[in-house]
Amino acid sequence: MTACLLETNALGRSFGALAAVSGVEFRLDAGARHALIGPNGAGKTTFINLLSGVLQPTLGRVVLKGRDITGIPEARRVKLGIARTFQINRLFRGLTVLENVYIAVSERVGAAADMFRPAGARGDVIREAMHLLAMLKLEDDAGRRVSELPYGRQRLVEIAVALGLKPEVLLLDEPAAGVPSAESHIILDAVGRLSKDIGVLIIEHDMDVVFRFAERITVMVGGRIFAEGTPKEIAADPEIRAVYLGQHSHV
Amino acid sequence: MIAPALNPALHPAALAFAGRHQPRVWEPIVWILALVFYFAFPNHLGFGTELLITILFALSLDLVLGYAGIVTLGHAAFFGVGAYTVGMLAYHGFWNEPISSLMLAAIVAALVGLGSGLVLLRTQGLTLLMLSLCTMALLEEAANLGHEYTGGFDGLASLPIPKLLGLFEFNPLYPRTQYVYVLTVLFISFLFIRTVVYSPFGQSLTGIRENTLRMHAVGSPVRARLVTCYTISAAIAGIAGGLWAQANAYVNLTTLGLDRAAMVLIVLILGGCGRMYGAFVGAVAYMVLAHFLAKLYPTAWQLGLGFLLVVIALFARNGILGIGEALLRRFRAKRMPR
Repeated sequence: MTACLLETNALGRSFGALAAVSGVEFRLDAGARHALIGPNGAGKTTFINLLSGVLQPTLGRVVLKGRDITGIPEARRVKLGIARTFQINRLFRGLTVLENVYIAVSERVGAAADMFRPAGARGDVIREAMHLLAMLKLEDDAGRRVSELPYGRQRLVEIAVALGLKPEVLLLDEPAAGVPSAESHIILDAVGRLSKDIGVLIIEHDMDVVFRFAERITVMVGGRIFAEGTPKEIAADPEIRAVYLGQHSHV
Repeated sequence: MIAPALNPALHPAALAFAGRHQPRVWEPIVWILALVFYFAFPNHLGFGTELLITILFALSLDLVLGYAGIVTLGHAAFFGVGAYTVGMLAYHGFWNEPISSLMLAAIVAALVGLGSGLVLLRTQGLTLLMLSLCTMALLEEAANLGHEYTGGFDGLASLPIPKLLGLFEFNPLYPRTQYVYVLTVLFISFLFIRTVVYSPFGQSLTGIRENTLRMHAVGSPVRARLVTCYTISAAIAGIAGGLWAQANAYVNLTTLGLDRAAMVLIVLILGGCGRMYGAFVGAVAYMVLAHFLAKLYPTAWQLGLGFLLVVIALFARNGILGIGEALLRRFRAKRMPR
């Protein structure tokens, strides 16, 4: 077995009487390409929010490399190596694409608290940000404001900001949603090129993307883990086809 | 694939970013105009001094409101703390050397900013707005009630301010010293603010303004950044207040009141938020307009100002500078058709 990067024990989160996530035992290995699928309202995004620290669980623990991080707030989890993207873009819309990525990189390398040197003098941060943009084919938009970009390009910026944090665990919440299929492969290529030490968990509705990308798939239904296995096992399971894949009869 | 010749770090956008803190060609003009004013209007230096102090005060607000996006209606609290620090120390005979008094004003205002910021900045939006207003009201009432120390409603008049550097007299009738002194302090403070705004720290403030939630998600200590920014801004507002006390040789409750807090907000909105020079343009526009409108309609001059503010709020959200930028863009687009 490869090393376990992130795991949850009996993780649960309730909103009033509604148990959005309950009793989730999950593990993400180093180097994993793991997909989380399930019907709408299955608790996938809530689960990601619990992993990244946006939400606190009502039950259970989150463990990163053997360390209990359940009580650690979001910003400090980023320092420990967990980064995420959002299902709906959360970008610095009034700033340029380069500034968006600069902010992420400068926080990571510890430049962001410096108030006496010009931001432009941090050539290392600019270089890294521009290389990330080049990797996502965004360099020609570097000087444009995010709000001026088409939605699909904004999704790429969303990824670039997360990659600027050089995470060990990358949580992607529907990264290709709303991206024209001509551009969605740029996202997946970039994710595919990531170092093999990084564990990637992706929520995705597009089954083509899931089966192309993932080496392991977890199916979530009603806040619980319904099944887990390799893409082959998942595709062959008649019950999963009934509850989830059946909705996409063309698969 | 990226061709090796096309190094992305040499992309025009990257080069523009690397050099964005370089002074613009037109920037010295502002300061030359301020010097020209000194020689051209020797009889209006009192007005000029007041104008420069307003600019400094508006700059301090721009740092919190325009860059970090902290909406406050109580910024005069720090102006007043600075003014009363200078005033009380001088009046009660503890300390009145101008430059060191100003530094003390900055320190005391910064401490008040730090203390109140630690509490206020746990909130945002309307709550923050009301709490900042409350903080200012509390300080104003304290200054009103502490008659023995603050002079209460009457304030402290005839402050004994000694000669600047032992050479230049603060003459209330011919405020030449005041003007040059205030202009110098404004210039130094501006250089400081400019440095902060263009630093990685300043960039992270704009990130907080644009999307606080995402800042948490990139691992930024948002609260600490905001409190730091608020403290710096309070110190600069305190310097502005200290200058006001020294230039006028008195302090009173107007330094702490809602009128002043609202005025500086109007100045900044009029000129344009988050642009630094919006403070300059806004202060000039406000004070010149107020001056002439008051001559035209002594009883209802604020009506004209209110009307202008409505127009700005409806049609020019980025203030006068925003209008200028939009015109410039249109002009450039015409000259360089694609």
